[in-house]
Amino acid sequence: MKLPHKGFLLQQLSQVPSYWDYQLIPLALTEYQVQGLYWINHFSIALDELAAAGLINRISERIDDGTAIASGRLLFEYSLSRFGRQRMHDTGLLPEGVE
Amino acid sequence: MASAELNAALHRHYLRNQRWGFFWALCTAVLWGAWYIPGTAVWYEEPFISIDQNDHGLRLAATAVMTWIHAIMVLLFLLLWNGMLGKIADFGRTIVRFRRISKWYALASLCGGPMAIFGSYMAMGYVGPVFAAITSLFYPVVGALLARLWYQEKISASAALGMAIIIMGGVVIYGPALFGEADFRDNYAWLGYLGGVMAAVGWGAEGAVAARAMDVSDPDVGIQCRFSFECLFWGLLVLPLIYLLTELPLGSLIWVMITDKMILIWMLLASIAHAYCYTAFYKSFSLIGVGRGEAIGNLHGVFAVLFVMAFTLQLPAWYFLVGLTLTVIGSFVMFREPAESVAELREAET
Repeated sequence: MKLPHKGFLLQQLSQVPSYWDYQLIPLALTEYQVQGLYWINHFSIALDELAAAGLINRISERIDDGTAIASGRLLFEYSLSRFGRQRMHDTGLLPEGVE
Repeated sequence: MASAELNAALHRHYLRNQRWGFFWALCTAVLWGAWYIPGTAVWYEEPFISIDQNDHGLRLAATAVMTWIHAIMVLLFLLLWNGMLGKIADFGRTIVRFRRISKWYALASLCGGPMAIFGSYMAMGYVGPVFAAITSLFYPVVGALLARLWYQEKISASAALGMAIIIMGGVVIYGPALFGEADFRDNYAWLGYLGGVMAAVGWGAEGAVAARAMDVSDPDVGIQCRFSFECLFWGLLVLPLIYLLTELPLGSLIWVMITDKMILIWMLLASIAHAYCYTAFYKSFSLIGVGRGEAIGNLHGVFAVLFVMAFTLQLPAWYFLVGLTLTVIGSFVMFREPAESVAELREAET
């Protein structure tokens, strides 16, 4: 069975040093076979919530010049925080022994 | 120039999130206040109105049946909500992970359902409704403290001050009536005081416990998990136990609740209000934190009085206006926090 949305976003971030939202969100759209601005915004909000809760960090930001999602849109680069990794262990999103 | 544009965009982004967070918390307060009208009206229908005040067993059984049917109806409205948002599949993916994720929603349902509602009922029955309302106003303190101690949620000075002013406002609204209600010679009054504590701790803990699961799950999905567990808890544990251990007329209570037209209308209205009140409640936690979400949700005291006023055309006493002013001031004190500080709710290490 697939992971819950936030679990998937966290798991993707655990495998790389960082992801820009415009790189990460298309992975989620493919995983859950959805498309359109509604779902792009849905996953953006999920990333906002994860950042507010301290599970992921915003490490840089820039304004979309029209090549990523939409011109003028604020884009964020995220990385998993130490707390996020710990919470992934707590919730079984990272197997035992995997750092 | 580019940097100034970026900073302005960032500020707008955080401001938008903060506003949505407070908007959801305010929706919670309005719908919670509205819920008291159908929630109280149902007690004025037969057979509930005829239950003797001293027949505690029957009153508790009626409350249990009412809460169960209420939880089922709330769950149906949440299914509709998540169906429209396309989140039913995510609900399935979340609830099946019981051992690691959804157990926290099960615990939240125990805190908010049986513990807080039952406690509130004890407080109402053994001391009085005003005492029950006042004690429940302290739940944001419990929620904020738990969130602070358990996972380092940041409580800024202005958030704490706003919270204190809102609670003070609530006490002013209900306080004067408490003097006419409390009877310290009553031997069973301690049960009511214990119930008051249970309500404050139960609702406060619910926010903190649910937020633990919302770290890795969607708030809309989370609230549906919470009510699924509440339905199971009442339907598979509490009601069967009451049925086996007592001779209370559970069957006829359930039958009248699902066949009487007026009771059904009140229950439907209460369930709509409660379903979306709780949805807004959980959504606010992930944007502005448990402490702020619960404190703004506390404005339900004001809205309850306003709705009662609208339906009964009885003007509230002067001290209500003092309490109203205090709660509104408290909300603005909290809202004046910089949006950037609300964007990071916890003191997490990088």
